[in-house]
Amino acid sequence: MASFKPTKIQVYPKLGEKVTQDTLYWKNYKAPVQIKEFGAVTNIDFSPVAPHNYAVTAFTRIHIYGPFSQEPVKSFTRFKDTAYCGRFRSDGQLLVAGCEDSVVRLFDVSGKVALRMFKGHTKAVRVTDFTSDRYHILTGSDDYTCRLWDIPNSTELTSYQEHTDYIRCGITSKLNRDLFITGSYDHTLKLFDARVNKSVMTMDHGQPVESLLLYPSEGLLVSAGGRYVKVWDLLKGGQPLVSLKNHHKTVTCLCLSSNGQRLLSASLDRHVKVYNTTNYKVVHNFDYAASILSLGLAPDDESIVVGMTNGILSIKHRKSSEETKEISGQQKRRPAYRVFVKGKNYVPKQDDYLVSKPVKQHLAKYDKQLKRFNVSKALDTALETWTRFRKPEITVAVIKELDRRGTLKNALAGRDERGLSQLLNFLVGNLVDPRFAPVLVPATEMILDIYQSVIGQSPVVDVQLQRLQDLLEREIGYQQDLLEVLGMLDTMAKMNTSPLTPHPPT
Amino acid sequence: MAADGGSSSLGLPCVFSPKSRQYLALCAQDGRLRIWNTDSKTLHQEYVPSAHLSATCTCIAWGPCRTVKEGPQRKKRKSEAGQPEERADLLAMGTAAGSVLIYSTAKGALHCTLDGGHSGGVNSVQWHPEDSLLYSGSADTHIIEWDLQTGKTRCKWKADRAAVTSLCVSPDGKLLLSAGHIIKMWDLETKEIYRKFTGHSTAVRTLRFATTRPPDSNGLYFLSGAEHDRLLSVWQVREDGNDKNSVVSFTLTDEPQHIDLSTSTSKEEVRKLAVVCKDGQLHLFEHFLNGPCKKPLSPSCSVQMAGTQDSPVPVPLLAAALGTDTGTVLLAYGNHLQPVMERVVSDINTAERHICLTRDVQTTLSLSMETAVSKVKTPIVNAKSRVLVPGLPGHQAPIKGTSQGSEKRKKGTDTKEMSIEERLGEIDLSTVSSVKGAPKGTPSLQTDNFAVLLVQGLESSDAGILNKVFQTRKDAVIKKTVSRLPLPAVLPLVEEVRARLYFGVAVLMVRWLKAVLMHHTSYLSSLPDLVTQLGVLYHMIESRVRMFHKLTKLHGKLYLLMTQVATSDSSNTVTDVDHTAKLVYEEGKWSPSFLWRCCGWPCSTRPPLERRHFDAVTICNLKKKKKYTYQNSEASAPPPIAVPAR
Repeated sequence: MASFKPTKIQVYPKLGEKVTQDTLYWKNYKAPVQIKEFGAVTNIDFSPVAPHNYAVTAFTRIHIYGPFSQEPVKSFTRFKDTAYCGRFRSDGQLLVAGCEDSVVRLFDVSGKVALRMFKGHTKAVRVTDFTSDRYHILTGSDDYTCRLWDIPNSTELTSYQEHTDYIRCGITSKLNRDLFITGSYDHTLKLFDARVNKSVMTMDHGQPVESLLLYPSEGLLVSAGGRYVKVWDLLKGGQPLVSLKNHHKTVTCLCLSSNGQRLLSASLDRHVKVYNTTNYKVVHNFDYAASILSLGLAPDDESIVVGMTNGILSIKHRKSSEETKEISGQQKRRPAYRVFVKGKNYVPKQDDYLVSKPVKQHLAKYDKQLKRFNVSKALDTALETWTRFRKPEITVAVIKELDRRGTLKNALAGRDERGLSQLLNFLVGNLVDPRFAPVLVPATEMILDIYQSVIGQSPVVDVQLQRLQDLLEREIGYQQDLLEVLGMLDTMAKMNTSPLTPHPPT
Repeated sequence: MAADGGSSSLGLPCVFSPKSRQYLALCAQDGRLRIWNTDSKTLHQEYVPSAHLSATCTCIAWGPCRTVKEGPQRKKRKSEAGQPEERADLLAMGTAAGSVLIYSTAKGALHCTLDGGHSGGVNSVQWHPEDSLLYSGSADTHIIEWDLQTGKTRCKWKADRAAVTSLCVSPDGKLLLSAGHIIKMWDLETKEIYRKFTGHSTAVRTLRFATTRPPDSNGLYFLSGAEHDRLLSVWQVREDGNDKNSVVSFTLTDEPQHIDLSTSTSKEEVRKLAVVCKDGQLHLFEHFLNGPCKKPLSPSCSVQMAGTQDSPVPVPLLAAALGTDTGTVLLAYGNHLQPVMERVVSDINTAERHICLTRDVQTTLSLSMETAVSKVKTPIVNAKSRVLVPGLPGHQAPIKGTSQGSEKRKKGTDTKEMSIEERLGEIDLSTVSSVKGAPKGTPSLQTDNFAVLLVQGLESSDAGILNKVFQTRKDAVIKKTVSRLPLPAVLPLVEEVRARLYFGVAVLMVRWLKAVLMHHTSYLSSLPDLVTQLGVLYHMIESRVRMFHKLTKLHGKLYLLMTQVATSDSSNTVTDVDHTAKLVYEEGKWSPSFLWRCCGWPCSTRPPLERRHFDAVTICNLKKKKKYTYQNSEASAPPPIAVPAR
């Protein structure tokens, strides 16, 4: 006995954005927590030690937030003017910050009053950082100088006046206590060695430099300025490797994901872009409500913190593993795996007599009805609301199968007002889809043949037919346009290839 | 009462005399003090301070009105002494050198100089309403209380960490407001801080008490406006100390320069506020001061002045004072050297929110220039030479000799300074025109912006921007945008359009595609890998138009049916009447067509003839209902218009 062949559902390729590993990873964050700060958030720095608190510099304050707190656990307010660049030391005990009033302040994270005040700059200090030996501080200022300070006796060690414009970013090497790099609005990046009294390397970014980032290996340097993000090879003497232009406004901040595989750049155009560091392609994109000034990524990418010009601090936490499981909770209620393998993994012994049992064929509801030749009912099943909207390909496949059997006319006929309007509704939704049109157009013709005599009797059906007519009219106009475009493309392809090859391209 | 609160040290000081508004005291760019009579609109007095170039006047305040007979300055000219009515007499001027000059309009001469108090420039002077006391706040962070009878300092205290930029004495003379970045309220008897108000991030330039202190003490309001701030904030001093934030704010177009507030006695009366901004506009507000209001209030009326030339230039307003009788506003506008005063009957309640007054200022100005400059020789200034302008002795920034240079005063601040918004606007335009290679003629700004927007959107694949651009329906805009698109953006655009052909408004996308193909034909056809670039697009379109024939046929069919229905519908109503009454039932003789006719159905729309298994009941039902309705038929077991399955 030949078994019933279930209706073949055509599988169509999914349209739209491709889901990659990266999209899954970067989408796996909760809805953002938003905190209003007093002014534009200019800097975010994560503490390198365990609870990974982060310091948020906004207006005249520095707030320190815990990893899950929505209230600052600590705040430093002893600034006379706008504070800049609050950064933690590598042991997470000290915090340094610059200020518009040109004084650099050093705080104990547990204290309140500044431990040290470094006075010497003549203008706002926008850059501060600790050197890797923890005893020195690097500062860069709007008075075009960058200086090194000694923490224990709070004295100035060296001052470099090589830049010819504001110094707005700087970073110290984590491996070598003497090396540091500054970026300035005079478009240059300069690598300094504290053991010599001048810069050892100069790179031209071509735009005012806004942010710097060193790879953990410290062989590569990333700089952001203007709309460009550039990668430099320090070991080859500052050779530019890559230049990226994926923002339409100034890039303000750079960040590296925890494993060093992804680079993040934030810009005034309200986007954060994620790049793959092997081929430097954009793999993901975040949108925010306002221009972004600062960006911070917690260790292990546990949270993304973004500070914006309107003073809003947006924090996205990664979904914990329990929550991801919760989504798949429906599958949990299904029978356990062993139910399915029960008896199936039995290996027959030599003397066993095998009685074959026919495998029970599981059929969908419409298939069962088709098997029983209930064509109308099968079509009804395929037109159920859920299927109709979510899986139109099933409905289309059933119609195709009915057509193949030659019973489509019977299935379509004999419908009342509700059924007919449902059917027409489905057609209005899917008739012009190029995937379904070859099946649905003959079906529509058939419907019109069957029901032509009752047209005009029901306002509901008439409205649907009117919609169908409007749709067709629009589609025909559209396809005419497309045909014209096709003609243009043909011509263009001819123009393109005719000098080289005599035959037209396919 | 304290003098008008417009003593901003940023702009040139310009103050109306209190109460009667008879005089306008104005210190112009040349360092001279001029007092204009607002009634006769003539120059009343002119005074040249001896140090008017080295120590310019930074602020002016009129002393309280008084009958000239009494008061501290008793020995006056006899002619003045006989006048019985109250009139404004004394003027206090703060200077950039730190001294305060007291000028008497009655005498027409300097009354006395208060020296040796401040080490920095005086930013604000205020009179005590009753006692003969004067308060001055200075850049040296101190406030001094001067005793005018002795001419000595009575008290001096440090008020702030930063410069004191503004002062205001309460109408009852018990409280004093002082402000740097933080507004502080002092008890004048003990000189202790009564309250602090924080909220401004820049130096507060304007302070003004709005109400007198009522008995319940919750209704004390004052106004504050700060540098570079386009809001005027209202603060409420509350008994419970719960006054951390401002209660109301008024939006302005620029930093406030001169404010005037209608005096009121009762709490219920609406308060009128006139604010002249730095950009020369006047904004009129009406508000009941009765507690907090969340949204910033916009002006009930804005007034601008314009010249009468072919291309009217805005004429800046200098000051405005609300008249004592409601509905009139006294305006001073034009040049500081020769202001024009005018009493305007302004009905603030008119529906018009923006009023532009055109006045022929040019002639009066040029005339005045002739008379005013007749004795002064203008030095021929080389374009490269630097012009030192009056200000602090040894000020830092010399200013270039531009046409506006002489307007600039200390620290390069200027009344004509553009707001950040305007500056950004100019930058934007200039970059656009440079990016686009400065298109010739007069390109419409709209499409130019669209091209830039589109490039930006394509660069950062910003869905918001792209949606905005692609939603346009104007063919002309699309064409212009595409034609102005730089070549590197063409292929990304094609790619974007291709992606949107599926999801977006496909009809609009085709227009974009056509425009691209038409305007960049040569570029596209010159691409060596055109076929691979456009291949996907080509196949997509091909698959879509494959059903074109059949769809067109289907459309024709449907169209015919629908029109048939429309015509039969109209005929249906006519035939209905004829056929209804003609039912004669004869056993065994009926034919379906006859039956249908008797039910009132036109032959063209009746159900197919296959349905012949009627029984009498159905017919009767049909007859009763006349119209064949689907809802009813659903209830009966077989669907009535079903075609039996084969």
